[in-house]
Amino acid sequence: MAKLRNFVPSTLFYYIVLTAYTIISIYPFLWMVSSALKPNREVLRNKSLIPNEIMFNVFVDTWNQLDFFKYFVNSAVISIAVVLGIIVVYSMAGYGFAKTKFWGRDLFFMAFLGLLLVPGVTVLIPLMQLLRALGFIGPDSTQFSTYAGLVIPMINGGGPFAIFFFRNFYNTLPGELRDAARVDGCSEWGIYLRIYLPLSAPVIATVGILNFIGSWNGFVWPSLVINNSDWFTLPLKLRDLDLQAVIQWNVRMAGSLITIVPVILLFIVLQRYYIRGLTAGATKG
Amino acid sequence: MTQTQLKSAYGSAPLGVKPRKTVRQILKDNSGFLFILPAMLIFLVFGLYTVVYSFVLSFFRWNGFGQFSLLPPACEDPACAFVGLRNFQEFLYSNPTQSQFFWKAFENNIIIAVFVTVGTILIALPLAMALNRAVRGQSLYRTLMLLPMVTAGIAVYYSWTFIYQPNGVLNSILETIGLGSLQAKQGWLGQPNTALLALMIVMIWGAVPSAMILYLAGLQTIERELYEAAIIDGANAWHLLWRITWPLLRPITVIIVITSLNRALQEYEMVYLMTNGSPAGHTEVVGLQIFNYGFGDQRQLGMASAMSWMLFALAFIVALVNLRFFQAKED
Repeated sequence: MAKLRNFVPSTLFYYIVLTAYTIISIYPFLWMVSSALKPNREVLRNKSLIPNEIMFNVFVDTWNQLDFFKYFVNSAVISIAVVLGIIVVYSMAGYGFAKTKFWGRDLFFMAFLGLLLVPGVTVLIPLMQLLRALGFIGPDSTQFSTYAGLVIPMINGGGPFAIFFFRNFYNTLPGELRDAARVDGCSEWGIYLRIYLPLSAPVIATVGILNFIGSWNGFVWPSLVINNSDWFTLPLKLRDLDLQAVIQWNVRMAGSLITIVPVILLFIVLQRYYIRGLTAGATKG
Repeated sequence: MTQTQLKSAYGSAPLGVKPRKTVRQILKDNSGFLFILPAMLIFLVFGLYTVVYSFVLSFFRWNGFGQFSLLPPACEDPACAFVGLRNFQEFLYSNPTQSQFFWKAFENNIIIAVFVTVGTILIALPLAMALNRAVRGQSLYRTLMLLPMVTAGIAVYYSWTFIYQPNGVLNSILETIGLGSLQAKQGWLGQPNTALLALMIVMIWGAVPSAMILYLAGLQTIERELYEAAIIDGANAWHLLWRITWPLLRPITVIIVITSLNRALQEYEMVYLMTNGSPAGHTEVVGLQIFNYGFGDQRQLGMASAMSWMLFALAFIVALVNLRFFQAKED
């Protein structure tokens, strides 16, 4: 043990490296906070992270101008709908692929995974045509129909990963579990709903957090589908905020901060599951 | 008597003939399909249908106006016509402006693929090794270092755009540390020679966290005894890295490379939000061209679809190579 220590740099060196890169990692966020608190005349001149004079009014004004709660609710509704849809539809599918038999099972599974290869931009045009043809969007669309049209393709986009994840998890559960429930007279649906689904809580958390963050941050797809500024998500509203001739950087930064804080909070609470989602599959061997 | 014959001897079917399953029995045997039915319906309509539609559309010329039927070939607009392979020919070689535009963007995709992948690995691996040693405070470091990945989106791109401004932080930092000659006077995103580099820095910044987490997970599976045994055999620190750590992390490196290549091929949202191809097409990428042909001012939906099938083909090749790689490893 003592010998190994001679071959690796001292611990202090590691901490210096880590601290240096951590600063790079969070610098844009620190810069966001600092600029949001600077007054207009200072924001372009003072390159220090610490404002000469801290002004909360830019932040408060932006908060009001951004109508935070309204767009927060819009974003939250969409993200929650995507997450719920993905969990309901693909936990079922994962169970079907892992534990039941039917004609063409493996073929269908490959078809789902094949969807992962299709670049997102490939299907944007057909999706827009489809939504228009089905009446989700267009002149007489409602907020509900627009959101439905927005959310369903997002659910589909999260599908391959979620199916893969749920299926692998259900495969690791022992078959005896199922046989025992069978003997007790439980139906296939009962087994899924009462035994397997509750056991998959950690997978639900992983799939949920990954997709929530993804849909919260999404910009291009919502910007194409939503054509009424009252229905905007936070990122769309943020883009709408500064269509003025001169960019007000402190307003922009305050708005950016408001947009990302919910995601950061959620990540800090659920990061264990987020990391599990990242490393799954990579370290099994 | 075989099993079947034995069974049929007691059943109603004649000897030697498999008993025919009733419809009821077939439905019962396949009832598991009901579990994937909702997923299947969404897949057929929003997945398979759109992919096929885009494929068919790539053989048409259409500016996006007028009614378009749910069956792509039957477009009802005079501005819409079947053109065969002409879309592909035009952006690949036959139309000088269009093909020059495309190949420039493709070149940028390649540059991004190479530099972002290499940069990500060169930064992520040492960080993971450091994080693996830093037992105290590991989770705090990890949380802070993961933030770039979680917040990918317009807010963070705004912050970077601000940092890259002509009178922004990056230029003033360079001035302070005496590298004023490296400053980009017209802003890092505004100058042809720095714009792509500036975008790639943001891409690397965003890709390092997940690569680092993967490497960290890999490092934690390597037995300490391996290193100790190697040291007894006279290995130095360089050997430990090249003969033990790097080969054992190879499967993880492969995953990182594949993910990174795929992202480099498909990236456009970030470029769209930060530069939209400016200055003068220097940060143009294929995904962004497809997007602009599809939703910009000069719409050519067939062209956009043709290009996106080219992209799909490339992603497919990357995936095949990936599959080969993994199979070779398992053998």
